[in-house]
Amino acid sequence: MIATVPSATLLGVRGRPVTVEVHVSSGLPGFTIVGLPDASCREARDRVRAALLSSGLPWPLKRVTVNLAPSGLRKAGSQLDLAMAVALLVAEGRLHPEHVAHTAFVGELGLDGTIRPVTGTVPLVHALDTDAVVVPAASVAEAELIARHQVRAAGDLRGLVAALTGSAPWPDGFPPESSPASVPDPDLSDVRGQPLARLALELAAAGGHHLLMVGPPGAGKTMLARRLPGLLPDLGPDHALEATMVHSAAGVPLAGGLVRRPPFRAPHHGASTVSLTGGGSSVMRPGEISLAHRGVLFLDELGEFQASVVDALRQPLEEGVIRVSRASGTVAFPAEVLLVAAMNPCPCGLGGAPGACRCSDAARARYHRRVSGPILDRFDLRIDVAAPDVDDLLGGAPGEPSSTVRERVIEVRGRAAHRGAPCNAALRPDQLDDVAPLSAGASRLLEDSLRAGTLTGRGLHRIRRLALTLADREGHPGELTAEHVALALALRSTPVAFEPGAAA
Amino acid sequence: MSGMRTAAAVGLASLPAMGPRRLDSLLEVWEPEEAWRRITGGDRVVGQVLDGRLGKEPAEVLSRWTTAARVLDPVEALEAHRRSGIEVLVRGEPGYPHLLLDDPEPPVALFVRGDLEVLDTRRVAIVGTRRCTRSGRLTAREIAADLAAGGVAVVSGLALGIDGAAHEGALSVDGGAAPVGVVGTGLDRVYPKRNAALWERVAVEGLLVSEVPMGSGPSPWRFPARNRIIAALSEVILVVESHTTGGALHTVEEALARDREVLIVPGSVRSPASEGTNALLHAGVGPARDAADVLTALGLAAPVVGAGEQPNSAARPEGRAASPGRGHRPGGAVDPRDQAVLDLVGGEPVNLDRLAESSGLSLGELAVSLVRLESAGCVARSGGFVERLVR
Repeated sequence: MIATVPSATLLGVRGRPVTVEVHVSSGLPGFTIVGLPDASCREARDRVRAALLSSGLPWPLKRVTVNLAPSGLRKAGSQLDLAMAVALLVAEGRLHPEHVAHTAFVGELGLDGTIRPVTGTVPLVHALDTDAVVVPAASVAEAELIARHQVRAAGDLRGLVAALTGSAPWPDGFPPESSPASVPDPDLSDVRGQPLARLALELAAAGGHHLLMVGPPGAGKTMLARRLPGLLPDLGPDHALEATMVHSAAGVPLAGGLVRRPPFRAPHHGASTVSLTGGGSSVMRPGEISLAHRGVLFLDELGEFQASVVDALRQPLEEGVIRVSRASGTVAFPAEVLLVAAMNPCPCGLGGAPGACRCSDAARARYHRRVSGPILDRFDLRIDVAAPDVDDLLGGAPGEPSSTVRERVIEVRGRAAHRGAPCNAALRPDQLDDVAPLSAGASRLLEDSLRAGTLTGRGLHRIRRLALTLADREGHPGELTAEHVALALALRSTPVAFEPGAAA
Repeated sequence: MSGMRTAAAVGLASLPAMGPRRLDSLLEVWEPEEAWRRITGGDRVVGQVLDGRLGKEPAEVLSRWTTAARVLDPVEALEAHRRSGIEVLVRGEPGYPHLLLDDPEPPVALFVRGDLEVLDTRRVAIVGTRRCTRSGRLTAREIAADLAAGGVAVVSGLALGIDGAAHEGALSVDGGAAPVGVVGTGLDRVYPKRNAALWERVAVEGLLVSEVPMGSGPSPWRFPARNRIIAALSEVILVVESHTTGGALHTVEEALARDREVLIVPGSVRSPASEGTNALLHAGVGPARDAADVLTALGLAAPVVGAGEQPNSAARPEGRAASPGRGHRPGGAVDPRDQAVLDLVGGEPVNLDRLAESSGLSLGELAVSLVRLESAGCVARSGGFVERLVR
């Protein structure tokens, strides 16, 4: 006797449909799982057996073979437990195939027959094409985010069988965890003074330009960075779903349902490469850069990160996805992030102003080697942040609130969308001549910088994109003026600390 | 025989941890050949002669010397120097600079490349911190150029920062006095590497001096000893920028011990790079605003060079005079709006935020203004900071 039940497994942050086939035949009693199950998947045998017995359901003293199709795909995790149990019940005749037609099952079994939630419910359900999906009661809210299926809750195996046969009503899912009155993003109006840094934050948000802030301790770099997500618009439905799937696959609790606000991730500088890029031996988990997908990845104390860890971000920053390859296969994780980094100018922290540093040359060189040239190059915005004026701190008027800035950001992003790019930073070099022509003064300025060697060919495109964002921000149509370019150059200066002559 | 004497002195100077004081104490008692013979033989008397100068483990130092001396051929070491174009001058031998003969701590051996006649001209040391500001570098460069143009040799340590800038300035003048570089490593060991090209130019066009033989790399204790030679070779010592601690202040101490005149370039009281020099000023050291003040201290007629733009540009060939941001105002070239910005940039580096606030300009207008000022040589920018270059 044979039965098939659809379910899904997780590959990276994407679900893959899996058909659970169970064959029961006479022969030596046994239970075999084939189709590349990993260790946690193979252990399903004992969980299913115990769950059936404790739910008062029979365990066949026959030869049971479970096949997980497609058999070439590695399956990991315990979310297939429920589908195996249900398929076994169908194969044995306890459930009629009609009862489970067009229904997929996702969930882990406890030994007492309870059905437990699993990580990655959102991508798992997303991968399923059945009419109905049965998920653990605690996961109903997550499963309903996909809104394509009839979502049914299951509390335990006995109740599930009753509900499937129609002898009992379907239980209600747990209400979605009341989001703990989501803490609002900190507001930009808290920042006093610092017009350059404020402008840089706004441009980062509006144009998708990566931002590096260099400054002494106490200059407010972290404070500024934390205000960046508040300047970004809400995620659109597609982007929200992408971000939600990553969070679900990583097991991050989804308090408020869909991730509608751009995520903000700030990994500690002790982070390993794998924790940032994602990976793992059997189950590939997304790293911090993927958790920050469609949001902000903040690397505080960039100079304290290991150089290799930071360099691992180069490829994903360029491509927007990170491909993690292991012996078991290659997984592409989404990684469209806005990178914001902050660092002290040097180990002593005083080197922000020319001539002020107290570090030895060797200590400075060591510190700066951590941030390679290619990474430094990825930042369109590189500013020195100095501690704000005492007068500003105490008596200064509060700056513009985030909401006002966000409106401008949305407008600038709208213009970029008109040009067919998600943001100005993503414009291709060949588009630049069309969308960002230069005035005579602007091109003279760029020419001078190129001749003086302060600007490279690659930097030229970055400056033009940045100048375009500046122009968009003012609603300035047409050619970029010298003012835009001069300000863009000032916003992408080589930080004092990195100047070869600074220590000299 | 003098060849053996020189060779033995090279041998002694090549021994590990052999500093100027230890070498001096040895040669107070013995001739170099004798000292060499005794060290090679492991003579205990050496320890008694150097009593109190051998640190915590005298026996260990002595045995290291003996081990090293037994595998070192002094004649071969001397030949190696000569093959590399390095002249070896030993105290008491002909050719040793007479300037150093009456010094309280004259080096036993000097290793030199270049033209010793440079030492016959007037000499001014320009020293300062490695961690200097742009304007500090520029000041060092300018003064050095003006001094060289006035026929005064600039002596410095070829370090990063002020030292290197002084050498660059002196070399920028065609037909000016050649500079003297006093270094703390063997002449085959360029340190710091970043100054390799400058080091070579000083050797070719001027004079490079060290008291350590070839093969000796940079060790922290060698640099203070080097500073004393800078002080000994100069008539006036000018400190351009110095933190409250640093090698430049050590050079000042050595200079005062030798009764040399010390001058400092005053800086903003807010600039950390001028803390040391301003402290010296407060302690009574005289200020120097430009090369003219230094020349006056040398007793040279000041108005000849450096008193203003006119003689400056006359003293240097056309084309070179326009080294960016010479200390004069580009007359009338500055737009009135830019002038307002320039007036707000004072003696210390100021950041863009402050400048935007005090000028009332938008960041964009300010950026354009600064680009113009920078290309006119009125200001320099490093990162988000602006420094004033014109006076």
